[in-house]
Amino acid sequence: MARSQPYTVACDGGLVKSANQIDLLKTPGVARELRNFEVSIEGGYRRINGFAKFGGGSAVQPTGGATNILGVIPYGDGVVACAGTGIFFSQDGTSWTNISRSSVASSGDNHTAFTGRSTLTRTGQGQVSFSIFEGATFDYGVLVICDGANKPYFFRMEGTGAFTSRTFFSGEITVTSSKFATHGVIHDKHLVVAGVEDNLNTIFYSGTLDPTDFTSTGSGSITLEDQVVGIKSFRNELFIFCENSIFKLQDINGTPVIVPVTKNVGCLSAYTIQEIAGDLIFLAPDGLRTVAGTARIGDVELGTVSKAIQPILTDLAETINNFIISSIVIREKSQYRLFYTNTSLNKNQQRGIIGTLRPNGFQWSETRSLEVTEIGSGFNENGIEEYYHGDTDGYVYVHDSGNDFDGSNILARFGTPDYDYGDLGTLKTLHYLKVSASAEGVVSPDVQVRFDYGSTDTPQPPNLFDLGTIDPPSIFGEAVFNTNVFGGAENPLVRIPLQGSGNSNNFTIISDDSKAPYTINGFYVDFIPSGRR
Amino acid sequence: MATTYLDITNEVLRELNEIPLTSANFASAVGLQQFVKDAVNKSIFDIANQEPQLPFFSAGLSGATDPFYGNVTVATTAGTRWYLLKSGSSNIASDYGSIDWDDFYITTINVSGESAPYVSNGLKFLNLADWKRFYRDSENADDADTQAYGEPKFVIKSPDSRKFGLSPIPDKVYNIHFYAFEKPTKLSAHDDTIVFPEQYSNVITSRVRYYVWQFKESPQQAAFALDDYKKAMKSMKSNLINPTPRAMTDDRRYF
Repeated sequence: MARSQPYTVACDGGLVKSANQIDLLKTPGVARELRNFEVSIEGGYRRINGFAKFGGGSAVQPTGGATNILGVIPYGDGVVACAGTGIFFSQDGTSWTNISRSSVASSGDNHTAFTGRSTLTRTGQGQVSFSIFEGATFDYGVLVICDGANKPYFFRMEGTGAFTSRTFFSGEITVTSSKFATHGVIHDKHLVVAGVEDNLNTIFYSGTLDPTDFTSTGSGSITLEDQVVGIKSFRNELFIFCENSIFKLQDINGTPVIVPVTKNVGCLSAYTIQEIAGDLIFLAPDGLRTVAGTARIGDVELGTVSKAIQPILTDLAETINNFIISSIVIREKSQYRLFYTNTSLNKNQQRGIIGTLRPNGFQWSETRSLEVTEIGSGFNENGIEEYYHGDTDGYVYVHDSGNDFDGSNILARFGTPDYDYGDLGTLKTLHYLKVSASAEGVVSPDVQVRFDYGSTDTPQPPNLFDLGTIDPPSIFGEAVFNTNVFGGAENPLVRIPLQGSGNSNNFTIISDDSKAPYTINGFYVDFIPSGRR
Repeated sequence: MATTYLDITNEVLRELNEIPLTSANFASAVGLQQFVKDAVNKSIFDIANQEPQLPFFSAGLSGATDPFYGNVTVATTAGTRWYLLKSGSSNIASDYGSIDWDDFYITTINVSGESAPYVSNGLKFLNLADWKRFYRDSENADDADTQAYGEPKFVIKSPDSRKFGLSPIPDKVYNIHFYAFEKPTKLSAHDDTIVFPEQYSNVITSRVRYYVWQFKESPQQAAFALDDYKKAMKSMKSNLINPTPRAMTDDRRYF
């Protein structure tokens, strides 16, 4: 009898789009397709969580209608969202208060007075940049909103009791005359703004510990040679991203000095800039790069971290003006998420990428059908980080939560490279596949097998192979009654009999349901070599 | 329900852990699937070549048109020696696959205008060499001269295997009864049926596996499959060809 042979693959490396099919033979653990999966920080590929409306079944839109959410951020014990011509706050998503008000008393308004003020129309409000100045005594800090069309606006809420018992402070910030600002950031006791109307190559900074005043002690401005695309505070320096260069501002409280970092690399969108794991990550024309602080004082290293998905980012860079860009860092997962939404496309066509920081660097995956016009994160009053995003329907959603996309199935696909099992010239008949999977609920994904790179000259299995039902593990002390299934193993090896033969083949794990997430840790393939004809 | 070409092909494919075909993609099969399809036909031909007189290759039901022995009846014509074994066949490719030359029978029963006493005899097979040596010359001379002819006593086979001949040349109309076996038809469409009883489909599948394992360069598996085939073939022959008690027969009674 022909002797079957084993082949074991551990899922590691994430999505790789920048290698050809022969290169990929050497890296069986990576993914050729990794859609609506994320690289787990514990290894393997995990189907992503879903999202749900903030407010659940009683959720309402901040503006009361379908319009793009332009900005969203957790603030205090609720969420601030910008949409239409207003700025809104809600504690539960079932009702929203427009907090863009005129003539608010400098000593603060109570709820009645505040909501009685006339609304301040944010005409032409664009994608929003938020920054929070926490202050020494503020309950929730000062939230500063720059929208690229109006003067920056600040909002502060004091009080921890009922919403109606709180005091509200708000108003427009004059940076220079009536000019708008596009980006704002808190850096070393100052609010720094950039993208100021008619002053696109100038950054302005507020007075020391006075984010609402750009004329008080410590305030000033610095003009650069390039137009500023984005700014980000990083350690004791402010990084200034221009279209073709990067600078850093040092010693803002002493004698501010601009130091060039590079004049060969620029940033495509301020909304891609995030800080993760001691690095600043941003989208450059040649992919995602990091500005890593090095051991040498004052030195930085610019590194590309997205080579594995270079084709995706090249496409994005070439057509970036077609998209609304937004990004977020999910710290508990060591994840950077970048969403690029084209509002003229169907929701199912909206895309994003997820980068998970693993010991050997970023590993990538893609999202699909996740429409994000703006996303934001922050810590609630209990110190727990929360994530929210908005879309073109005008709702605010709790991001990375639940098992579905607001009631719709999550179509997830993880496609392996083709495996040649050590010899591309030998025909192999597949015997069976064992999938190492960890389920977080009762799940039942399927497996698709394609031989010889999907060649039409090779018979392909017409149907998916059923992975069966994988029960969540029942661990003594952790299992939940009516959730876990008795006997469910922690990382079961699910055996699937296979059919077909080819010189190489790949596997694609597919699920299209509203079931719990699961993680694919690896595969064991049993095959029979069947000649070299 | 008869086993179809698709059934038998898929049976083998499943045995080999390969992807079965469907009626929709059967005609456009490629690669190994097409090889298995081809091997099914090749295996049926192998079986027919090895045992052409298996009952399911029979050209017709015995006695269907006549109460006499045989499944083919040919009426003779006075003065004509040679007759096509398969009436209307244009070439050897469409002739019968096999003839039971030991079971030719001649009779005048049921011949129009004949009455008792009837002629009703077995025809002894005579090889061509003996016929040419002992009878041809005199029969040809009679044909060219008095045309007396006579009642045939022997059946002979034409060198091209397409006709049977009678010796002496018939002097009138007789009915010649014999057994003929068809060649298996090459299967083509997915719903073409296999003539084998379902019980013996394993003879085909084991032979197909033999070819497929050779294709897959697994001589050991091919040897196992060949052994399966031989055993299955032996059983089928035992059941279908030799189920009756064996006895010795004294052929001298024909002389």
